[in-house]
Amino acid sequence: MNKKLSRNQTFLLITVPVLALFFCFNTLPLIKGLMYSFTNFRGFGSYEWVGFRNYADLFTDARVGKSYLFTFKFALLATVVTNVIALLLALGLNGKIRAKSTLRGVYFIPRILGGLVVGYIFGYIFTYILPAITGKGSMLSNTGTAWIAIVIVAAWQSIAQTTLIYISGLQTVPEDVYEAGAIDGATGWLSFKNLTFPLIIPFFSINMVLSMKDFLMVFDQIMAMTKGGPAQSTESISFLIYNNGMGGGQFGFQSANAVIFFIVIVAISVFQLNFTGKKEEQL
Amino acid sequence: MKKRVIATALVAAMLIGTVFSASGCSSEPNDGKTHITMLQYKPEAVKAFEKMEEEFNATHDDIVLTIESPNDAMTVLKTRFIKEDAPDIIGIGGDVNFSNFVDAEMLMDISDFEGLSLIKQAYKDIDKNLEFVPTEGVFAVPYVANAAGVLYNREMFKDNGWEIPTTWDEFMDLCETIEKSGQQPLYFGFKDVWTCLAPWNALACDLAPADVCRQVNKGETKFIDEYGEVAEKMLELLEHAQKDPFAYNYNDACTAFANGESAMYTIGSYAVPQIQSVNPDMDIDSFVMPGCDNAEDNVLNSGVDLQFCVTNDCENKEAAYEVLSFLLEDSTIQTYLDDQNAVPCKDKEFELSPALDGMLDYINEGKMTDYQDHYYPSEMAVDAQIQTFLIDGSVEKFLNKFDTDWLRYNRDIIRKVQEYEAGGNK
Amino acid sequence: MKKKNRVAATTNWPLTILLIAGCLTVIFPLYMAIVIAFKKPSEMTNDIAGALSLPKSWSLENFAEAMRVTDFWHSLGYSVMITVVTVVLAILIHSLAGYAIGRSMAKNKFYKISYLYIVSGMFVPFAILMMPLVKQTAQMGIDNWFGVILCYLVFYMPMNVMLYSGYLKNIPIALEEAAYVDGATTWTTYWKVIFPIMKPMHATVAVLTALGTWNDVMTPLVIMSGKGANTLPLAQLTFQTQFGTNYNLAFASYLLALLPILIFYLVCQKQIINGVVNGAVK
Repeated sequence: MNKKLSRNQTFLLITVPVLALFFCFNTLPLIKGLMYSFTNFRGFGSYEWVGFRNYADLFTDARVGKSYLFTFKFALLATVVTNVIALLLALGLNGKIRAKSTLRGVYFIPRILGGLVVGYIFGYIFTYILPAITGKGSMLSNTGTAWIAIVIVAAWQSIAQTTLIYISGLQTVPEDVYEAGAIDGATGWLSFKNLTFPLIIPFFSINMVLSMKDFLMVFDQIMAMTKGGPAQSTESISFLIYNNGMGGGQFGFQSANAVIFFIVIVAISVFQLNFTGKKEEQL
Repeated sequence: MKKRVIATALVAAMLIGTVFSASGCSSEPNDGKTHITMLQYKPEAVKAFEKMEEEFNATHDDIVLTIESPNDAMTVLKTRFIKEDAPDIIGIGGDVNFSNFVDAEMLMDISDFEGLSLIKQAYKDIDKNLEFVPTEGVFAVPYVANAAGVLYNREMFKDNGWEIPTTWDEFMDLCETIEKSGQQPLYFGFKDVWTCLAPWNALACDLAPADVCRQVNKGETKFIDEYGEVAEKMLELLEHAQKDPFAYNYNDACTAFANGESAMYTIGSYAVPQIQSVNPDMDIDSFVMPGCDNAEDNVLNSGVDLQFCVTNDCENKEAAYEVLSFLLEDSTIQTYLDDQNAVPCKDKEFELSPALDGMLDYINEGKMTDYQDHYYPSEMAVDAQIQTFLIDGSVEKFLNKFDTDWLRYNRDIIRKVQEYEAGGNK
Repeated sequence: MKKKNRVAATTNWPLTILLIAGCLTVIFPLYMAIVIAFKKPSEMTNDIAGALSLPKSWSLENFAEAMRVTDFWHSLGYSVMITVVTVVLAILIHSLAGYAIGRSMAKNKFYKISYLYIVSGMFVPFAILMMPLVKQTAQMGIDNWFGVILCYLVFYMPMNVMLYSGYLKNIPIALEEAAYVDGATTWTTYWKVIFPIMKPMHATVAVLTALGTWNDVMTPLVIMSGKGANTLPLAQLTFQTQFGTNYNLAFASYLLALLPILIFYLVCQKQIINGVVNGAVK
């Protein structure tokens, strides 16, 4: 009996080192970052303690406020668009179709293309091709539409990953569920709503959290498409944290921004997980 | 079975890993020689620096020079500072990063370096002005500069018989003449916000005091009183732009100018290689931004593009000076100029790119001022604010915001400046 | 053979056609990228017809030059090494963690909290971790490829643990209990029963983790800070300098870098589908 570890002991032996690793490379640096948020550190050289000044500034900074509004507006639309299209695409790619592998491969390519390529190509499409077709100005130079252009590009890129997760979720749905459903006469929407969807809810909630997180932290697409313009209308929170913290001299201030942002996203995600968690339990 | 596959994969991966790490690892050789490392921020000039490194090491037995030209060098440099593993010499631009490094006391005072006497006074002054608070000592050797103003298509000008403008009215008249001939006078790439700074800086050199930022920090003036004319003239320039200049980026504008879609382009000499990559045979010349009503009042916009600083971590100052002296030799500078389009800061005549013909007199006379944005904190995003203003069109709103934002972003510096001023008066 | 016939008999043609039509949203941008990768800088223009036209010659010169500039084979090898080690370790460690935590968190508060703790780590903006991590890895003497891999293992842990424990929700606990009754330990049950069943998830995790590490610039840039070999994305920064970008070489290089990961994805994709067959036999 001594030699054999109980189930719980095994789990503990696995979990504790993993938690230690995680603490060391995530929480520890976060605590140091938290410390910097009380200084006027520039990222190098000497610095002074400034108490809560950075936090006080944060709440009176119009630019930060604007970036929160933009980021949430953007993340909400992008999450919805991405998940709806990805779920449809996953169902389609999981269906009885020809050239399945090729199609799955093609739809995956957007996720692999680097920011430079995506920025150039979509910049070109929005600047030259779309205006030539629609006869209107470029979406990217209009403060009212630039953010939608970024939603399109961000969704275009992340649909690949979201679809992949839905597809692997669909693999856990045994085929006999469909067959049983077919006998009952459930087809199309009904079969999806009553049979398939409940089974992939864990993947739905994972995707909601992952895409919400990715979009709230949007940075690459902004750098590739607008660099925060036009007229500072597409500055995301991560854009400010990175550009002004690392590139500029506001490391301390932006650390404070990052801390607040972290708390906000955790709160949203806990809410999201609880919400979908309840749904899972109901079923 | 599965387990074995995984185990094999893991071992294989680890093996590859060790092979790579073994080859990637090189500890400092203990050969009794002095080792100097230099990190410079222009990866595009890597070939010139490789050649310099080779020449230096061939002619110096006791010093081994290693020059690194990493990509995204400013990030790399900042991480090196964090790791307390700073290079001995850094090659950076004369911009706000330099000001910050001086302010954070990371650079060595090199006022006893003899080579400094070879440098044009105008560039030494430019570097001195970059210090937030006047600091005792010299912290950089200006190496090469770039200049900004208006680039023009020499062939188009010749074919149409257009004259180089020397005053603001002439400039605006020229733009109208070009428009009347059915051609495009100016092309902007304002989607990339930083390009908004090019005409802004060039106009500010003509129309605002060179030390306006320092005056504001001292509390002597406000931007709304100094930048008004600059802002107005930016709006006038915009009238002669292509349709929707905010839809096009720097690269679009370079390509358009290269393909003859516009006669002029308000940008710096640094854009010439990108333009000529599209049209290698293009004959480009430049002129100083004629912002003033009196031709004699115009000043060239020129700043230090590359300068060398010795860091405080450098243990062997003599060896570092030896390297700096080598870099300032005429033949070394020529190596750099053969590779890169630049204006040397050394007080001697070198052959310059024909694209600088129109600015030559100003360069030789030293009639120039630094880029205003070198004094702006990058987090204030003045470039984006200018773009916002150009879209919005309200000078007053823009400059009022400029003044309030300035006080906020420069709070710590202003406090230091005022402490310094108060101390000086005692 | 039999399988093929069955699929052919029931092919949903309207769906197939719809999906092929949808591919245009990917093919068109990809076409532009390929055309640019073959052109010379002097063929670049702002004119639409010119931008979409085929290059004057289909010379592979850009690709050869891009490979030379980025020291392609060396950088590729380094990138492959970092990605492979990260993926293998991620599958081993994260699946174990996902299993231990996923199976216990319903009953045990400690695991529930561990789960939330790890998942919440996903939301820490990298920018705030960056400088402290740079300092920490330097002090620990792992400011090299090894430190980069450790960072990746931690960065992708939240997502992967979430994915694994989500997948386990659909795997009946009865499967393990059967092995348990036969006297196997939890450890051996895991490797013999659970680990193989999670194959589709391993493939998914492998793809997602590989993608993240393959394209990442920031972590190797700041952790190794210019010392040691370049990964492919680091080497590709060469194409962008302060005042100019060589799009033609850059695009050639990006297309080259795209191939290995696309092949890897297609291989993993097969595992995701094959997994159904295994999983269905219950």
